[in-house]
Parts: sequence; C-alpha cells; structure tokens
Amino acid sequence: MTAIPADGDDAALPDSAGARGGLGRALSEFLENRLAVVGLGTVVLFILFCYLGPLVYHTDQTHLELSDATLAPSLAHPLGTNEVGYDQLGRLMVGGQSSLEVGIAAALLATAFGTLWGAVAGYAGGFVDAAMMRVVDALLAVPALFLLLFLSSIARPNVGLLILVIALISWLGPARLVRGEALTLRTRDYVRSVRLMGGGPMRAVLRHIAPNAVGTVVVNATFQVADAILTVAALSFLGLGIPPPAANWGDMLSNGINYTYNGYWWLIYPPGLAIVLVVVAFNLVGDALRDSFDVRLRRR
Amino acid sequence: MEPVVTIEDLHTDIALRHGVARPVGGVSLTVGKGETLGLVGESGCGKTMTALSIMRLLPPGGRISGGSIRFGDADLVTADEAGMRAIRGNRVGMIFQDPITSLNPCMTIGDQVAETVLLHRDATRAQARARAEEVLELVGLPRARERLDSYPHLLSGGMRQRVVIAMALACEPELLIADEPTTALDVTIQKQILELIDELRARLGMAVILVTHDLGVVAGHTDRVAVMYAGKIVETGPTRDLFANPRHPYTEALFRALPENVDSGRELYAIPGMPPDLSNPPTGCRFAARCGYATDQCRAEEPELTGTTHPFACFHPLGAAEQTAANPRTEVADPKNGAALLDVRNLVRDFPVTSNGVLQRRIGTVSAVSDVSFSVSTGETFGLVGESGCGKSTVGRLLVAEDNPTSGSVTFDGTEISGKSDRALRERRRDFQLMFQDPYTSLDPRMRVRSILREPLAIQRRGSAAEQERAVTALLDEVGLPRAALDKYPHEFSGGQRQRIGLARALALRPKLIVADEPVSALDVSVQAQILNLMRALQREHELTYVFISHDLSVVRYIATTIGVMYLGKLVEVGPAEQVYSTPAHPYTRGLIDSIPLADPEREQRKEHTGVRGELPSAMRPPSGCRFRTRCPLATEVCAEEVPAPRRFSEQGQLAACHHPLRPVV
Amino acid sequence: MTGFIARRLAQSIVVVLLVTVIVFILLHLLPGGPARAQLGPRVTAVAIANFNHEMGYDRSVPVQYWTWLTQLATGNLGFSVKLNQSVLSLIGERLPKTLILTILSTVFALIVAIPLGVVQAVRRNRAADYAITFWAFVFYATPPFFLGVVLIVVFSVYLPILPAEAPQSSSLGVILLQPAGLILPVLTLGLLTIAQFSRYMRSSVIENLAEDYVRTARAKGAGERTVLVRHVLRNSLIPVATLLGLSLPAIFSGALITEAVFNFPGMGDLFWTAAQTQDYPIMLGITVLVGLATVIGSLLADLAYAALDPRVRFA
Repeated sequence: MTAIPADGDDAALPDSAGARGGLGRALSEFLENRLAVVGLGTVVLFILFCYLGPLVYHTDQTHLELSDATLAPSLAHPLGTNEVGYDQLGRLMVGGQSSLEVGIAAALLATAFGTLWGAVAGYAGGFVDAAMMRVVDALLAVPALFLLLFLSSIARPNVGLLILVIALISWLGPARLVRGEALTLRTRDYVRSVRLMGGGPMRAVLRHIAPNAVGTVVVNATFQVADAILTVAALSFLGLGIPPPAANWGDMLSNGINYTYNGYWWLIYPPGLAIVLVVVAFNLVGDALRDSFDVRLRRR
Repeated sequence: MEPVVTIEDLHTDIALRHGVARPVGGVSLTVGKGETLGLVGESGCGKTMTALSIMRLLPPGGRISGGSIRFGDADLVTADEAGMRAIRGNRVGMIFQDPITSLNPCMTIGDQVAETVLLHRDATRAQARARAEEVLELVGLPRARERLDSYPHLLSGGMRQRVVIAMALACEPELLIADEPTTALDVTIQKQILELIDELRARLGMAVILVTHDLGVVAGHTDRVAVMYAGKIVETGPTRDLFANPRHPYTEALFRALPENVDSGRELYAIPGMPPDLSNPPTGCRFAARCGYATDQCRAEEPELTGTTHPFACFHPLGAAEQTAANPRTEVADPKNGAALLDVRNLVRDFPVTSNGVLQRRIGTVSAVSDVSFSVSTGETFGLVGESGCGKSTVGRLLVAEDNPTSGSVTFDGTEISGKSDRALRERRRDFQLMFQDPYTSLDPRMRVRSILREPLAIQRRGSAAEQERAVTALLDEVGLPRAALDKYPHEFSGGQRQRIGLARALALRPKLIVADEPVSALDVSVQAQILNLMRALQREHELTYVFISHDLSVVRYIATTIGVMYLGKLVEVGPAEQVYSTPAHPYTRGLIDSIPLADPEREQRKEHTGVRGELPSAMRPPSGCRFRTRCPLATEVCAEEVPAPRRFSEQGQLAACHHPLRPVV
Repeated sequence: MTGFIARRLAQSIVVVLLVTVIVFILLHLLPGGPARAQLGPRVTAVAIANFNHEMGYDRSVPVQYWTWLTQLATGNLGFSVKLNQSVLSLIGERLPKTLILTILSTVFALIVAIPLGVVQAVRRNRAADYAITFWAFVFYATPPFFLGVVLIVVFSVYLPILPAEAPQSSSLGVILLQPAGLILPVLTLGLLTIAQFSRYMRSSVIENLAEDYVRTARAKGAGERTVLVRHVLRNSLIPVATLLGLSLPAIFSGALITEAVFNFPGMGDLFWTAAQTQDYPIMLGITVLVGLATVIGSLLADLAYAALDPRVRFA
C-alpha cells in the first residue's frame, strides 16, 4: 500500500475554471443575468441621451417662444412643446441631467459617510454603538420628505445644496446595513485571527471587514441612486426643487398635470415614463448585483 | 426475514446550474422487518440522497431517474404524490441530523407531535394530544405533559432529538429512516439516543435504515451494513462479517484510517486523492483512482456486486493476507521532559449573565472554567477533551490570550500572558498560535492564499517582500499543497485542503506552541487522517508543542501524549494518554470512553452498557461539591459537600479529582 | 420578554428626545430665528427683540430647549399667524383624515401583498412570479404623483367613474359618506406600499420554505398547502411586523404627496401649503408629531414581533 499521501499533485486541486478575482467573477455572473444587462443598458442609454443628446439635438431651453406654446408632436418637435414654447424632447434631455447628477452624487456621498459610521459603530460595539445608532434611529423617524420640504422652504436649493441635503438624509440606510455586517463579521474566525497574530483593530476593519461588506454596500448604493432620483422628482413636483428655468423631470410633470384635462399627453407621460424607466433600471442593476454577490459567497 | 423495503438499481439525479450530477448511480438494498441496516460512507457518497429518495423528498432539481423501490405492494418511484403523502409519517418515518433546525421554532412541541397523528388518523385534537403525550413518554422525555405546551428552543439537543423521534414514530411506522441522527450531539447523549432507537425498534417491530459516516455507530447498532462510495454500494453484508472480513479495498482503507484502530506509534492510513466528480463519473470502478490494488481492468470495467451473503463489487477483493498489513511506523517525537512550556494555574473564567433590561442587572454567572491547572512540556501534545459546555474552547481562548481569565494565570515560556494588553503581547504572539475548527470561516474568502499566508509575516514585520514570498512557498510545500495554490481563493479548495492552509498560516511565524481547536472535527475520516499525519510530521520537523482540543476521545488518544478531561468547567482527570484511556480513575472518563462507538462489533457487544446517563446541568448553577455527581453512579453525600481535590494515581503523573475513584491512589 | 420590552422602551424614549433636539435645531436654522418665523418677514427689529424676550429666546440655548420641550409636552405646538389658529387645533382638524388615508391604504396593501408574496414564492421563477415582480418593480419606481395622475386620467377623464378630487369637507363624517372620492387616493398610496411589501414577503417565504423544519413537516406527510399555511405563513409574517414599523416614514411621505395630488385636506396637504407659504410653526409642529408617531409605531411593531415569536417571548 502506498505511504502517506501529500495532497501534492495538481490533479488534487479542484477545477480552477472560475479562478478569477472576486470582482471578475461577480461581473461575469452579473452579466449572465439578462435583466441585469437590460437594466445596465437602460442606464447607459439614458446617460447618453441626457448628456450627448443635447449636443446632437439642439434646442433652446432659455428663451421663451410663446407663439410655439403647447404644440402637439410633429417632425419639428418630436415630443411637442410645453406651455412656454420649450421643445419637450430637448427639455427631457436636459432635465435628466440634474436628476442623474443629483441622484448619483447624493448616493455616493451618502454611501461613503454611512459606511464609515456603520463600520465604526459595528466594530466598536457597546455604548458607542448604541449611541451612534440612536442618532440614526432619530433621523430615520422624521420622514425625509418633510425635512427636505422644510429646508427647501427656507431657501430654494441649487444643485450642490440639494445633493448635500439628500445625502444628509440618505446616509442612514448604509449606516444601518454596514453596522449589521460589521457585527456579524466581527465574530468570524478570520477576523479573530488578525488579533491573534498581533494585528490591531485598524487592520481588521480595513483589510477584512470592509472588503467583505463591500457587496452589501455596492448593492445598497444602486438603490440609493434610485431613491435619490425619486426624491428629487418629488421635490420638484411639489414646487420646491431647483428653481426654473432649469429643467427637471419632476418639474415638467408638475406643469404637465395642469393640462390633464386638455389632453396634452406629451406634457405628462414622457417625463413620468423617463423617471420610471431610470429608477426601474437602477433597481434591476441593484437586484442583480445582490444576487451575484450572494451566490458567489455561498458557493463553497 | 420478510423484506419491508427493497430497492433495486436506484438512480437519482440532481440538476445543477450547468449539467447534471448523479449522486445515486445504481443502488440495490433490502431491509427486513425488525432489523437495522447501516448505510455508511463519507460525505458525498450518496447515502443521504438514497434515504431521501425512499421518501421522495429530494431537494429542488432532484429526481429519481431509474430503478424501483418496493414497499409493501407499492412502488415508491412511480407512486403519485397523494400516495406518497399517505405513506410519509404514517408507514415510513424519517429523522434528520440537526434537531435545532428540524423543529418549527414557533409551534409548540405538543402541536408538532400531534400533527403527525392528525394527518394520518381520524382523531380529534384531544385524542391527538393524548397520543402525543404518550409518544413523548415513550421516547423518554421527562415531564412530557408539561412539555406539550412549551417550545423547542427551551430544550437541550438530546431532548429535541427525542421530540423529533417522537414525531416520526407517532403513527407506528413499519420503516424508520434515520439520517445521521446523532452527529450533532455529544457522545454521551449519542449513546442514549442510539440505544433508544434500538429499543423502539424492538418494541414496535420496525425496520430501521441508519445512515451515518461513523463506523463505530454502525458496529454497535446495526445488523447489516452497506458501504457506499461515489453513489454505488461497494460492499454489504452482516455487520460482524463485514467488520471481521472486509473484502473491498475502500472498506479496508476506512478501517485503517480510524485512529481507534491504530497504535500511537503508527501513522494513520490516509486514502490518497479525492472522491470523483459525480456530474462526470469515471469509467470503470469509481474507486480505482485511489486504490492501491487497481489494475487496467479496474479502470476500464465497472465491477458488479457479486456474492450472496456478503456481496462486494471488486475485481481484486482482499484476502486474509492483506488485512493484517499494518500501517507504517512513524517516529513519535520525544517530548523533552523538562521545562514546562505552558503552565496554567488555577484558571477561572466566569461570564456574567445580565437581565437584558435597561439597567443590565447581573442575575447570574456562568462558571465556564473553574480552577483548572495543568502544564504542557516542550514537544508534548496535550489533548484537552470534553463534551459541549465543558469549557475546553474557553480554555483554548485563554491559552492564546484572546480572552482574560477572571482569576488564575497562564504562563508561557516563563512569562505570564494572562491579563496583558494586546499591545504588550504583540511580539510574544509569534510564539503561540491558534488553529481553527471550521475550514469555511477560518480563511477570508476575499483573499488569495498568498495574502492569507503572508499576513502574519506582514503584521509581525518579518522579512522583506521577497523573503516573505519564499517563506510562503516553503510553507505550502510543508503542508503538501502545490505552488499553484498561492493564486487561488479559499472557496476553490476542499475542507481538508483549507485546514492545511490554516495550519500553514499558524506555522508561518514559527511558533513554539500551536493550540488547535477541534481541527479535524469537520472533516471526513480519510481526510482527518491526512491532517493528523501532517500535524505529527510537522511536530517532528519543527519541535512543536500542541494543545489539541477535541470532543473526540479516540482521536485524542491517538495523537496526544497527555490527556486532560474536562466536565462542566472542571478538569476532572489528567495524565499520560495511554493510562487515562486504558485505566481511567474518574467515573466520567470511564463513562466517556464507554460511550464512544468502536468500529468493532465484538467489543461493542462486550461493553457493559453504562455510558453516562442524564443530562448536563446548567452552567449557571453547577452542582455543589463535585459537579459530576448528578450523573455519577458512584455519588454519595460527601460528593455534594466537598469539592474533590486532585490526587495522584500513577508514577507518571495521572491525576484525578474524585471521592470514589476507579483506581487506588498512589 | 420583559427585558426586551424594557430595552425597546428605553431606546424609544431616547429617540423621541433626539427627535425633539433635531426639530429644535431646525427651529433655529431659520433665518432671523423663530421670531421672524412667527411674526412674518416684514417685522421690525424692535418687535423681534420684544418677541425674543417675551418668549425667552434671548436666554441660553439649554434653557430655551427646556422651555420649548415643556411647551410641547403640554400640547402647545405653536401658533400659525398666517392662518390665525393654533397649530394643535389645525392638526386636530386634519389628522383624522390623514389617518383614514394611511390606515385604509396600509390595510389594503397588507391584504393584497401578503397573498401576492406567497404566490410569488411558491411559483418562484415561473410566469406568475415574473409577472408580479415586473409590476412590483414598475410600481416601486413610479413616483406617487405620476401614479396618481395616471389613475386620474384613467378613472376620471377616460372613464369618468371616480372623482379626481378627494372630498373637501372639513368634517370626517362627511368624508366617510363619500367613499368614491377616497378610492383613488387610497389606491395610489396603497399600490406603492404593495410593491415593497410583496417583495419582502416573497423573500421571507422563500427563506422559510428552505428551512429544515419544512422538510420535517413534509416527512410527516403534510401536503404543500398544510406546509404553507401551518408552518411557513406564520413564521414568515413575523418579520412583516417589524417591516411595518420601518415603513412608517415612507408611508407618511407618500401620504403627503398623495394628498397634494388629490387635494385631500389632510396633514400632508397642510404641511405642503405651509411649506409654500413659509408657515414655519405648522411645519415644525407636524414634524414633531410625525416623528413621535413613527417612533411609537415602530415600538408597537417590535412589541408585536416579540409577542409573535416564542423565542423572544419565552427567552
């Protein structure tokens, strides 16, 4: 009979077909999901539409042209004009810019700050954790829209201020999530081992807890973008978003509603559908990301 | 003997994401009335799938693709779902491995047991409840009537498993399928549950299929055995016969991998290689790639089961000659008798229990470790053994200064390490390292092996980047993994391979002491053997000292030079391994040894069925005096009044703390 | 369980206090301070000084906070100069209507979402699941104002069967007697909530279906329906209680928008009008109230959870 085996031959190693890095694998699995591709494609399409569109399709969004008010869609104006003569299609493109900008920027800011808050609270534990999370609870208790309306009524915000304010309210979600992750990960053996090898808490948090929480954070960030876009639209709808003449989908929708009974459907549906499509797209991406991170970790 | 169920040429498939796996590739079995058939094999061999196929409870994507299962006058493969529902729980009962998750946490125990009755018998709720109480008493659940309205999470593991058995037996089935029923339980409780199943089988005249990976369990509690490998039955026959004369090389390899059969001075036999991939099974005999006797014929043709009373599937079955071949001898490192490397004195660790309210009042203390003292010399392997709740894991954490004792001291190489801050210990930590139990959570899934192994060196700032790279490659060689492993992620390795990586990481800083916390408990027997051999070899090579923590006394007996036995926070016995194992002084040690199922039917029969009765008391209110007295057959009044002090029982230092030891004091 | 309750109660008290602190900060963010808020933008400096002294705004901050807190506790939520009514009485008029709206739509959402989620989980990855998921996504992404408008167009313009405006009466009784006017607002608010709840219910049921105790139930011979109803449903509903508590802020926000679209004379509509007219006392008063309501609602949801889950009830 043979002597002690070393597990030494290459044949003993399992098939390394999926041996790419964590990100590579997650990406390839993500792309296998058809809905995810649709979502991602839609987002890209909209970005192109909003930023490259106006370069291709020139319209005047600053000078009123009342003689052209509320024209139905035609060759000259594929989506008609609104009540002060602006071309709707062009306005849709430009309006999307602020929605996307505010949405993405606010989400990034909120995620960064929230992750830090949550990681510290989760790893520290005890009283520090309790105190930090009570602050989060309190801010969550006041519905975001109420806070935003209040702040907007004081002074109508510009894009920068809007981003800041939305981020200020959105960081709570990632904070809660990351704290939960930190609490779970703290007890994992591979995090314990850092301390036993002589390593300090910084190393444990930065090298082990944060990377393993990344999945959740990224997924949440995409949902944040979707929510932020909805919030900007809501604010504009309520008349307290970015002041005119800047275009904004929510604003367009709010104006359009005045004409519900006139049958000027091109003033209502395009901005509404645009919002729905973009938000659905981001949600699809987020959902698919969550699935791909989950499967990867579960496959042992 | 009339057969209760006859399985013929069963094939079961599972649809995977890409492709199909065939976990059961042609299994034929019979079980007769009143007999227990053991279905034994390592993980992935298909034994659980076979059991689930009988019940037609396959996981999503699973289906039976061929064969027949005759039960009474029905074929369970072709029966319709309504027919199967009428059979499940009624004529065939099944119990599963993990009692914690097998019970619905939000339903009372009474309701869950009564449900079986209500599903199959025309009974009123009151009648079903009465029957539930009856069955719970039958399975030995104390205070059955009270327990009817309580919830599962309030019971211990052994009690929960009794409830699960009660649910399966409520309608007095003809066949009971038990899938690893005791794997998740302590060894003393395991013995109780297995004996309960035997007793119930006799009383109800059932047939039992006992699915397990543990050959000892099979030896002591089955009439016939079937050994499975890679989806096929390789050998089957009456238990005694198969154990006395194994014919298939795999069966023999399993026996030779068991630590209990092997003298400490010899290596364990570790089967080389890994089981085949069942989505693409090899042609020919499935064991050929790992078999020492394989020839070309074996690789080309698949052997059929031949024989009548003791069939086996092999072209080169074992004759009497091969069986006596012993495992190769190994050099056991000679412990340098001298300075104690690790000295533990009067270690105490209490955990406060708070009331969970705002004020966090302290309503009790869990005495996890109570006045434990022992020392470990350089080059020794100290085996710390005990069941759940005994405090051995807590001691393990105290030994590597992960936790601070409430009182007492841990001294490593002359310096006290207990009660020190992390900063003070930073450099000393090089000398003592921990090896973890769970291969799946001990390695960061997002780091490549190279980074995992370099991390300790980076933390301790040992060597330049190039030197670290060399060191890491050398480490891989030492634990028997190929260089290619450096670039891979943990999930690409098997459990045994991950333990090797964990061992390599523990070795990276060239420590003097490695505390291994249940390092092989999560592994199959053959892989366990590989790791134990490896640990032995590394010990010789690097003059390591081990503290080996385990609940498995037969593994500890094999690998340890000194054994310490813990019970409910106390060290009840300690001494040289052979002495403690063959001539224990403490009744608990005796009971523990008796409870271990041995892979030898003769010895199992000859055991005086004592074991340890009763349940573990609460660690918050441990019994006064000797903590073991509530379960000890020898207990008297003095045991309740006085805490027994350790006394000496041999020249070589066997100590035990008991008022009524089993050996004379020296 | 008493430990759990005590802890949650203590936490809630702390959170409520923090909410008051937040609103207090908001009060002082106003340009010109609370004086201008109360008296309007064209007030003179002398009037401001008098006001501040009278109301105690010239004292130290902690004292101000304490004064304000005690005022709140005695029910004095401020006075709206523009509407010439105390905030409390204004809220008192409007609150019941918002409550009707939110309660009706939440009940509606639960009744629809729970079975929907179960159906999705049981027919996972099949046609029904995909169809429902698709609509859930769409409704989730639809801003309530757009949804409201679409509903109005469909039911009030093309098929004029429902009124586009909610009943305007200030009395609750009259509103209830005109249920037709409530249908569209409840539908709008409800559909959004359904989208979220059904998704949650779906994953809860899927998780529970994969648990070991379901396998045990099947091994006892239970059919799929028995398994679902007796075992899975009960266990899956427990986290829904907590979800309800967590969704309260979103429900209130949705209510605000819905009221704006349908001209529904509730608290949200009041808040919006106040925002447009810069009537700060009303906004602050409502904010405190909504914050309080959310915390209490959350607490109640957690208590329900503790009552339902035996592992918490008999720890």
